[in-house]
Amino acid sequence: MICCKECLDLLYDYLDGNLDTEAAKELNEHFDDCPPCISFLNTYKSTTELCRETLGKIEIPEAVQSRLLKFLKEHTRNP
Amino acid sequence: MTESEKEIDAKLIAELKSGKLEAFDKIVERYQRKIYALSFNITRNQMDAEDVAQDVLLSIFRKIDSFQGKSAFSSWVYRITLNATYMKLRSKKKDKYVSLDEEYPAFNKSGYMFEKPFDWSTSAESLLFSNETKEMIGKAVNLLPEKERVVFILRDVNGLSTEKAGEILGLSVPAVKSRLHRARLFLRKKLSHYFDEFYGRGEKK
Repeated sequence: MICCKECLDLLYDYLDGNLDTEAAKELNEHFDDCPPCISFLNTYKSTTELCRETLGKIEIPEAVQSRLLKFLKEHTRNP
Repeated sequence: MTESEKEIDAKLIAELKSGKLEAFDKIVERYQRKIYALSFNITRNQMDAEDVAQDVLLSIFRKIDSFQGKSAFSSWVYRITLNATYMKLRSKKKDKYVSLDEEYPAFNKSGYMFEKPFDWSTSAESLLFSNETKEMIGKAVNLLPEKERVVFILRDVNGLSTEKAGEILGLSVPAVKSRLHRARLFLRKKLSHYFDEFYGRGEKK
């Protein structure tokens, strides 16, 4: 049976579905029997979700937006 | 990006090349948030992101004739945004690498974990998405070395494919994957410390 460290090394490809059938089967068997790895896997996945949720929603502040449009107007419309 | 998005870009670019200024306004409308957000997420600095957005949008206007359409327009925009963002970072602190050993939990000699990490992924939504958590995430991303941070933002936050991120950054697919894995591990550990502290537990270093 493969150990936790080997599982974590393969985690990325496992989640991407890029492991060959044999390797994926070995990981699944390990996970069935290993609560620490399940915790690690869950928090690894949640990290991406939380960061996407937080950082994916950056908006341009209104003041920046109006300065930006003014700047572009000045630099693209005047001869 | 869907095919029709590409078609809209192609139409606007053709119009801008032929001197139609309204096309530029539409390009600004379509891309300004993406440019600002990408630069902000990397620099974590509003003024830097504003400067970058100005530079990049003006560059699009001035250099549109040099855009050949060999790669997607969005890739071109991402690339010049990153270049402008790197200029902002250049004077700032030099980078370290993320070491896998530091981000992994403790293993015994056979490679098994000593103890079960705290699984905070099942915590209440209100905690996961509180303002304090968001602030902590911003700080954690700020601590991520630049090489890993850029890959993480493009791939996990902006949702680009591994291939497209590689094309923009001039990196091979395995290099993108390895940097992304390191970034996720680094951030996972930072988030774990935060949630452990919140619940009064301690994940061992």
